[in-house]
Amino acid sequence: MKPPVLSSRNWFGKAGAGAVAGFFLALAICGMLVQFGPLEIGFFSARAQLTMWLMAPLWALILSFCFLFHNGARAWTWLGGANLLLWGLLYGSRLLMA
Amino acid sequence: MKIRSDIVRMYRDIHSWVGIVCGLALFIAFYAGSITMFEAPLQRWASAPMSISEHTPLEKTPELVEKVLAEYPKAAINYEITLEPGIERPARMSWSSGPRGSGTTYYAELGEDGSLQVHSEGPSAVGQLVDDLHRQIGILIDHDIAMPIMGTISLLYFIALVSGVIVLLPTLVKDLFILRIGKNLKRMWLDLHNALGLFSLPFHIIMALTAVVFAFHDQFYGAQGALLEKNGRAPAEVQVQHHQPPLNPQQIVARLQEQAPGFEPIYLNYHFDKDHGLEMRVAGSNSRYGMRGATFGYAGVDPFTGDITVTSYMPGEQDGWFATVTSFFALHFGNFGGNPVRWAYFLLGLAGAVLFYTGNLLWIETHRKKRRKGYEHLGVTQTRASKILGALTVGVCLGCIAGISTTIAAAKLLPLRAIGADAMFTWHSGIYYGVFILAIAWAFVRGAASGAVDLLYASAVATLLIPLVSLLSALVPGFGWNHGGSGYLIDLVAAVGAVSFVFLAQKTRKRIHSAPEYSIWYVADVLSTKPDTIGKMEASTAK
Repeated sequence: MKPPVLSSRNWFGKAGAGAVAGFFLALAICGMLVQFGPLEIGFFSARAQLTMWLMAPLWALILSFCFLFHNGARAWTWLGGANLLLWGLLYGSRLLMA
Repeated sequence: MKIRSDIVRMYRDIHSWVGIVCGLALFIAFYAGSITMFEAPLQRWASAPMSISEHTPLEKTPELVEKVLAEYPKAAINYEITLEPGIERPARMSWSSGPRGSGTTYYAELGEDGSLQVHSEGPSAVGQLVDDLHRQIGILIDHDIAMPIMGTISLLYFIALVSGVIVLLPTLVKDLFILRIGKNLKRMWLDLHNALGLFSLPFHIIMALTAVVFAFHDQFYGAQGALLEKNGRAPAEVQVQHHQPPLNPQQIVARLQEQAPGFEPIYLNYHFDKDHGLEMRVAGSNSRYGMRGATFGYAGVDPFTGDITVTSYMPGEQDGWFATVTSFFALHFGNFGGNPVRWAYFLLGLAGAVLFYTGNLLWIETHRKKRRKGYEHLGVTQTRASKILGALTVGVCLGCIAGISTTIAAAKLLPLRAIGADAMFTWHSGIYYGVFILAIAWAFVRGAASGAVDLLYASAVATLLIPLVSLLSALVPGFGWNHGGSGYLIDLVAAVGAVSFVFLAQKTRKRIHSAPEYSIWYVADVLSTKPDTIGKMEASTAK
């Protein structure tokens, strides 16, 4: 099967998904590393500062590669789905641990 | 490496559009940023000699502090004791009227008779202007508005880096180690653009990501604090309420030397609030380590015992996590490894500026209409967009260069030290923007090609003004000043810069007289009078 041809014409939907859904996805990945990893949330500790710094590469990478989705709708579906999954895990585990 | 051709094509489009949107702003950020690598020598060069050059001896500092606090009780909240006052930090004691260093900064010394002398003649504002132009990509509006713009441009810049690499990957092996210098000038510029971009890629990735954080850290912290569960430890509460008097500065310096010999203290910051009492931060540097600030890090010190209490931001004394975070700052500031790294960052920054200048002009060259085959007798009208963009690129880039040079040179012409830091800043930014806007207007009047030649000469003249005012200061008594030392570096670099601009101007002039009609460098009025020759010249030059 011939792979679908990508183009820059439908950039707006894809970039929108990368900017908005990508931002929350980056946030969720940081959350996972805080919940299940060594990082922290706050201002003062080095681990909390590292968590904040992590936002830049995550968000920028999602923004750079979101154009590889076939169109805006798919970008929103995949990035939105990943958001639902990670945020679900985050809040679910919080409920379980509470 | 094989990449599907539609992906390469898509990323080529993205690369050019993203580049076009942020290229000009990035040029300013990189050119001004390069200069900030030598902000300290520039400050020295541009600052007038102090009217009070006798500094209070360090051992008399307690007396000085006591007298200042008696007369200016508000200074007790936050003041600084400089260990070696000089042109940059012009007095033993200083404090600001506003919170966090805002408002007017006052400087105090004790006179020979023990009387208090207070003034607000700070160092030259021109260093601050260049730094602001760098941080706010040339848009000197409110910090809170400029930062999101800067952050967005930094994100686009990162996308431009990723897309540029993807476009280059398929032909990487073939294209990388080659600079095709020949008749096809566009090919040569593209090779140069690729080589510069790829070899300085790590530098650019660092700059893009750190700039995103510098712009958006409040938003990132805010979003994480609001949506994620807080588990961070609060800073350790050190409750020091000694009833003994604080140590004097000499004792503090001696205690620091004892505990951290590699740390060279620059100034002591005293801070008082009701909850914590008197607290002290000592700013200092350690050339063997990267630092959190542009030129120093901080040690938290107990003002009563001289014990180092907080090493989180202290170069050489940080734990692995803090050292990791500090490395991001240090990699942006280039404040590790001393002067060789500073020079490397200076050159990498200039190379970055060249990358954006060539990128924009390449885009225009690609998008201009070529003379269609078989219709050679018809003229080709270029789109308004490419004319505007060409003029804008030439005007903004060269205007920025000429503007910065002129405003630096003006530092010695205007006896501004006495009028205060704010007025000085207004003068310097006024001169910068005057030249900058004039250059853009000139580029629009003359068109990109002729405009580039004129403005390169103008940049050369403006940059030559810098060593010229120094020369005048040396020759004419009563005019300007020369501090010697690293100040001559500024004059020397400016002279080399001026010569380079003349060279570029001559090259560009040659180019515009031989460029084919579809090129951005084509000058209509040179050839239009002799229609016969157009075809001949094109045949010989167009490729």
